[in-house]
Amino acid sequence: MKHVVAVVLLSCGAAIAAAADRIYTLPDPSAELKRLFPAAKAFSPLAGEPLHFDAFANDPKTNPSEKPIGIAFWTTDLVPQEHGYHGPIHMLVGLDMTGILTGVIVTYDSEPYGYFSVEPPKFAAQFKGKKISDPFRVGGDVDAVSRASISIGSATRAVRDASRMVAQKLLPPEVTK
Amino acid sequence: MGGAETWGEILRPQLLDLILLSAFIAFAMVSFFRKSVALKYATFVLAVGYLGFTKSSLVSVSDVFRLTDLSVPEFKYSVTWYVFMLFVVASTVLWGRVYCGRVCAFGALTQMLDPIVPRKMRLEIPVRIEKHANLIKYGVLAAVLGYYLATKDVAGPIRYAEPFWMFGLFGTTGMWVGLAVLLVATVFVRNLYCRFLCPVGATLGLISSATTVFRIKRWGECNSCKICEKTCEWGAIRGPRIVKSECVRCDDCERLYHDQQKCPHWIILRRKGGMFVSA
Repeated sequence: MKHVVAVVLLSCGAAIAAAADRIYTLPDPSAELKRLFPAAKAFSPLAGEPLHFDAFANDPKTNPSEKPIGIAFWTTDLVPQEHGYHGPIHMLVGLDMTGILTGVIVTYDSEPYGYFSVEPPKFAAQFKGKKISDPFRVGGDVDAVSRASISIGSATRAVRDASRMVAQKLLPPEVTK
Repeated sequence: MGGAETWGEILRPQLLDLILLSAFIAFAMVSFFRKSVALKYATFVLAVGYLGFTKSSLVSVSDVFRLTDLSVPEFKYSVTWYVFMLFVVASTVLWGRVYCGRVCAFGALTQMLDPIVPRKMRLEIPVRIEKHANLIKYGVLAAVLGYYLATKDVAGPIRYAEPFWMFGLFGTTGMWVGLAVLLVATVFVRNLYCRFLCPVGATLGLISSATTVFRIKRWGECNSCKICEKTCEWGAIRGPRIVKSECVRCDDCERLYHDQQKCPHWIILRRKGGMFVSA
């Protein structure tokens, strides 16, 4: 019985350590960035305050005065405190310079089986074309898919709050007026 | 994008969960059918590690809410969820609260205390109190169901009526304090939450009392013998009767029935001449 107990305790420790060390942000989202901005030829590396990618219609190396056509960012960088049921839901969001979302891509979530609602592609798809000034209300302008859940509420808040923060800091001031 | 997805595309991202869940269920059922103590504890470890800290996949009272408005997830994107729920319901109908006894990560966590905490520290609750305390969980179920129907708020019950959020390691100070109190109390009162408070356990208890196709066998001698009743850590044996809504199929009594050195049924047979005693 003693060694059973020891094995049990060790495994619990290992499980807790593994769970506490969850880092799942995609290291190279270039394919996802391309999906958010099909017209872009080049993207800046993840940098700035707040952390973001700039999307360029022409490579800024050939034309240094090139202005970005849009901004992409991770919700987990902007609103790290936003939690689903089990943990943060990792989403890459694209925003054009007029404050309209070009898309949302859920790259990772660890929500339980029952909270799948952020996984069906139509959940993320419905954010495309939304304005940052839209209400983002689950059950209103955001479809609850099966029913408002912790996961879907958290993902929607993350997209809304992160987009507004980015717009506030990086978009021309008339957009956020 | 655009165009219809193929089933291959839909299932591929779910495949890992589906395989791991099926493997876990298979393992849990092997431990159940073999009545092995070691395999049961191995199941607990897997339940806490995988279903708990990795997936946070425990049946929640919010899954009971779904029954009231049939707001179930879309099948093709939630195949694992359907497999999990089918297992929970089917196993409860067939054998009783097997889910509570070895699949639920929180139940597994508190049952891991059983071999660790010395017996002397454990508070044995008198039957007459236990009988009533068992009913609290039905009250909790009715209360949270009523609250949900009135407010349609899921977050409140998930945070304050059940401790399963702990596997996501994220809660407010109030939630952690409540959990700490519960866990400390569980050291003294075995599986306190499962026996007296859990609304999911109450739901499964209702199902198991109405069904339980394959029941635990009892001998004629069980009418007067108290060995199993004293051994049962769930207070599920009262005299000759096994209370189906409280039994979680932990196997402790079944191991005793089959122990030819301890169970009076076998001892009496042996004294009578041992004709039926197998080697």
